Amino acid sequence: MSLSDETVTTFDDRPAPRRRGLRSRRRFAVVAALLVIAVVAAVLVVSARGGDDRPARAAGAGPVAGGTLTYAVAGTQVSLDPAVAATAVTGLIDRNVFDSLITQTGPDTFGPWLASKWEVSADGRTYTFTLRQGVTFHDGTPFTADAVKATLDHVVDPATKSAYAASLIAPYKESRVVNDHVVEVTLARPFTPFLQALSVPYLGIQSPAALAKPVADYRPVGTGPFSFVSWEKDKRVTLRKNPGYASPPAGAAHRGAPYLDDLVFEFVGEDATRYGALTSGQAQGIAGVPPVNAARLKSLPGFSFATQETPGLNYNLYLNQTRGPLRDVRVRRALSASINVDELVKNIYFGLFPAARNPLSRTTADYDAAAEGDFASYDPQEAKRLLDEAGWTKTDENGYRVKDGKTLTLVWPYWAEGNKEQRDVLAQGVQAQAKLVGIKIERPTVDTGAFVSKYLIGGAYDLVDVSFARPTPDVLRFAFASGNTYAKAGGNVALVKSPEIDKWVEEAAETLDPATAARDYSSVQREVLRQAYVVPLYTPVQLTAFSAKVRGVAFDAQTYPVFYDAWLGA
Amino acid sequence: MSAPAAVPYDPVRAAEARARAPRRRWPFRPGVLLAAAFLMLVCAAAAFPGLLGHAPDQVDPAAALRGPGGAHPFGTDELGRDVLARIVYGARPSLLVGAGSTLLAGLAGAVWGLAGALGGRVVGEAAMRVADVLLAFPAILMALLVVAVLGPGTRNAVLAITVALAPGFARVVRVQALVVRDSAYVRAAVNLGLSPARVLVRHIVPNVVAPLLILATVNIGTAIIAGASLSFLGLGPQPPDPEWGSMLAQARDYLDVSWTLALFPGAAITLTVMSATIAGRALQARYEGRGGG
Amino acid sequence: MPTLARRLSRRLALTLIAMWGAATLAFAGMRLVPGDPARVIAGGVQANATPQVLDAIRDQYGLREPVLVQYGVFLGRLLRGDLGESYQLNQSVSGVILDQLGPTVALAAGASALGFSLAVGAALLTAGRPGPRVVSRALEFGSISTPNFWIGILLLAAFSFRLHWFPVIGDGGLSALVLPWVALALPIAGVLAQVTREGLERALGQPFALTARARGATEHRVRLRHALRHAALPVLTLSGWALGELLAGAVVVETVFARQGLGHVVVAAVRGRDFPVVTGVVVLSALTFSLVNTALDLLYRLVDPRMRQAAL
Repeated sequence: MSLSDETVTTFDDRPAPRRRGLRSRRRFAVVAALLVIAVVAAVLVVSARGGDDRPARAAGAGPVAGGTLTYAVAGTQVSLDPAVAATAVTGLIDRNVFDSLITQTGPDTFGPWLASKWEVSADGRTYTFTLRQGVTFHDGTPFTADAVKATLDHVVDPATKSAYAASLIAPYKESRVVNDHVVEVTLARPFTPFLQALSVPYLGIQSPAALAKPVADYRPVGTGPFSFVSWEKDKRVTLRKNPGYASPPAGAAHRGAPYLDDLVFEFVGEDATRYGALTSGQAQGIAGVPPVNAARLKSLPGFSFATQETPGLNYNLYLNQTRGPLRDVRVRRALSASINVDELVKNIYFGLFPAARNPLSRTTADYDAAAEGDFASYDPQEAKRLLDEAGWTKTDENGYRVKDGKTLTLVWPYWAEGNKEQRDVLAQGVQAQAKLVGIKIERPTVDTGAFVSKYLIGGAYDLVDVSFARPTPDVLRFAFASGNTYAKAGGNVALVKSPEIDKWVEEAAETLDPATAARDYSSVQREVLRQAYVVPLYTPVQLTAFSAKVRGVAFDAQTYPVFYDAWLGA
Repeated sequence: MSAPAAVPYDPVRAAEARARAPRRRWPFRPGVLLAAAFLMLVCAAAAFPGLLGHAPDQVDPAAALRGPGGAHPFGTDELGRDVLARIVYGARPSLLVGAGSTLLAGLAGAVWGLAGALGGRVVGEAAMRVADVLLAFPAILMALLVVAVLGPGTRNAVLAITVALAPGFARVVRVQALVVRDSAYVRAAVNLGLSPARVLVRHIVPNVVAPLLILATVNIGTAIIAGASLSFLGLGPQPPDPEWGSMLAQARDYLDVSWTLALFPGAAITLTVMSATIAGRALQARYEGRGGG
Repeated sequence: MPTLARRLSRRLALTLIAMWGAATLAFAGMRLVPGDPARVIAGGVQANATPQVLDAIRDQYGLREPVLVQYGVFLGRLLRGDLGESYQLNQSVSGVILDQLGPTVALAAGASALGFSLAVGAALLTAGRPGPRVVSRALEFGSISTPNFWIGILLLAAFSFRLHWFPVIGDGGLSALVLPWVALALPIAGVLAQVTREGLERALGQPFALTARARGATEHRVRLRHALRHAALPVLTLSGWALGELLAGAVVVETVFARQGLGHVVVAAVRGRDFPVVTGVVVLSALTFSLVNTALDLLYRLVDPRMRQAAL
């Protein structure tokens, strides 16, 4: 063998660098191990020393006009037409370009904006709006009743391909121009969420002249405080001051033109990068401060930090009640009772996000705090009892419940790209706590295509998590009405099919009696918790931060920042 | 700067002297012993993670992000899970990706390289040209491409690194097999009328296996780092299964609050890689020593 | 030099085959994905695309054609240098690459400069000196065995989060580049230092070093002027390898430091199965990698006459 053995050492001609030069191993292996420890120790010592903070900035006096405000947001947008795109970013940006007919001033109260007053007919099907006079669009054309009609017709036109905006005013039948400053809107049936719908940016009033142009040449033209300048895809949208602005909504802090010269929205997807853009001064404001950085940011002088609880549907876990073990309400309630939501949420989000006990966020109209009495809240003993009762009495070697030879397994697809707000971490906590009572949760990582076609539409899931912000209790219809499945562009991912719930949400949307609506919405909240179609997790909170130079930013009912009153101090 | 002693320093001779020395002695020096002990520890953790008594997925949110000490010698993570338990349980997937992909790449490389050396003109050429093509990629990009096609996960990470490593092994095997094939020894065997299969199994394979094993051992460290990189990028074993690379990825989000979270998984990777490399070199030295003596 | 020309054309052919292989693999991947590519392109879940929109996308991207036709179209486009449109970024792939190339090149160039300087410095100082040699070897071994994302995380923890010497993230300025450079350079420096020192030590033992010393040259001069030149060749050989390590390291380091760059883009594309971007970056790196290796091959054939005869 000696012949071949000698040649064994002639390895490949390619360098295998990690192999080289290490033939003296007398001491260095020990030294190397010691060095790692030494380096670690050095880091420990070094890190024990504290850090310094930046100097505070002195505050100035009253509003000053001028300057550019750069606001960095996550996500991007597909279309500039608010009637087409439903993303939060589009709403945020277009809010500054378009005024709405009315403005939402509280959970269920509305004030005048482009409509100075309105009347609702006794049957709840006809709305008559009297419009503000002397308002012009950015393209110079006057704002009249024709614009309202053109905008609403544009939204419901199938050629517009509006999924979200059109769904907001689904019962819309027609608009009639009474005269230049009066418009009459007729609905197919009574629909109380109509006013709220009209207040959102997705139904902002657009210039008929701009809407008449071909889709490819679309530019957003409204009557808002800022006019559109440019959109660099996936980078930024630039808006410029509308010097002739004369139609601020009720509740604005000043009249006339906005203070800022330019308003720039930068798209910065990465959390940490966005945070860095603020602290390094590249942006004067950011949306979506990572909760883990929030405490630190609050301690830094030179920045202001705002939290806004999102109205609408909380971040909820929906239980597919049409499939497998979750068909049994006892198993659903057992899962609900196995999760210590309060403790998980408090610790993962450093106390910034409130743990939820209701599918509806508490800032939403007709939120019923008493409904939490029907919520199967954390009680592992009760969870185990329910599982026993449901026949899942045996356990396998890993402690998971078994019935008829099958392990109690639930599939919760993990759509990694849609992950935000450390929801993956929260899910791991849920998984671990469910395991303690014997429920196995599987989380296959899936890409977007598979998530939509195989899971959301194909229905091959037991659990799906989602949040949905919109300041109206009508979101309960979106989430639980039997006709609103994902395949039909709805949010009923628990695949609830309850005639009672359908009746309540329809009645609440149609009735003109607030008390009836409140009672119906309360019934829905109780029923979905009693049936454990949903396990509420937390209320998403908009964590927004601005440089201390930025003053006067307000937040609208949707928790979007409003830049009309904003100005830059020294 | 003082010049060295009158006799000029001859590093080549010195290195030779050092390299010769171990052949005549019991080869396990302290460093190697330490490395072997640590490797055994890691292997024990991979084989029997339950011995520690702590569960890696037992959450205790109220005790989240604690520093090392007390009931949790390595501290707790963002869900209050015991970091020590997670590192112990993380040994298996980490080793599986590192050692598993090396093993698979070794096997694939052996077949591939033998085909390249002995497969005749067409097969041999084709096999080696494919290897050349694959070697034209930086290994991590090759692995990323494989993950892009197959999707993330432990099994796919193993396959990805296997694909990245195999062509290198194939080359070594081929060179080795060519040398053996052309040796007088094998020619004699062929001339004596032994069947080609018998020559392959009895004479060629044994001479190829040894250098392959050494290369594989030395490469395990690289493979472990590659595997940890993939799972750091979120493309390897998926949570909540603990794995050292993905633990580091999670820890990155909490550096501001609890930086020790990033300390232990990284130390586990580094020490394992060091130990595997030291052990691999010790084997290599022994083997080469036998050949020379 | 006919052998040289032949070798060169052979290598270029290999490069082309490598790129074709990468493109084919990526194309196959595109077709193997279980989900509907039209939905991925449409923006997935939030967009909740209507069937009409999906149909329009299928027409636009030719997803209805037979697979072989699609493959032909795909290769034809590649040949024309058209890398296609990203599924997710609403931008052409070449646009994405051009945008992201700058930060990655800045990272890689700085890190390689740092890595080579560290390596040569360490080798010059420690070659042939038993004491420092052991320390340096241990350090090198440590840096080779440490994954660069761990180095990066430890650097971040110490110098950004505790000491605030460097920004935590951000693309702004040089100070944000220092830690990524170090994290990326250390493992490479470890290997290069070993090789450089071996080369130096070999050179120092050769007769010319003795001659130089006998002529009264200082140790300093012997090392810098004479030995280093001889040690340069093996280091040059390793440059190709170092480039591969830099590319691989950039992927990880950009993620650790949340930096913009090609590595960051390619990881996001792999996660989101944005195949046009994956294909573009992989094909481009294969090209760069092969071209640089070919150039290096030529270079040390020219530098070292012995290699000219050794054409394989």
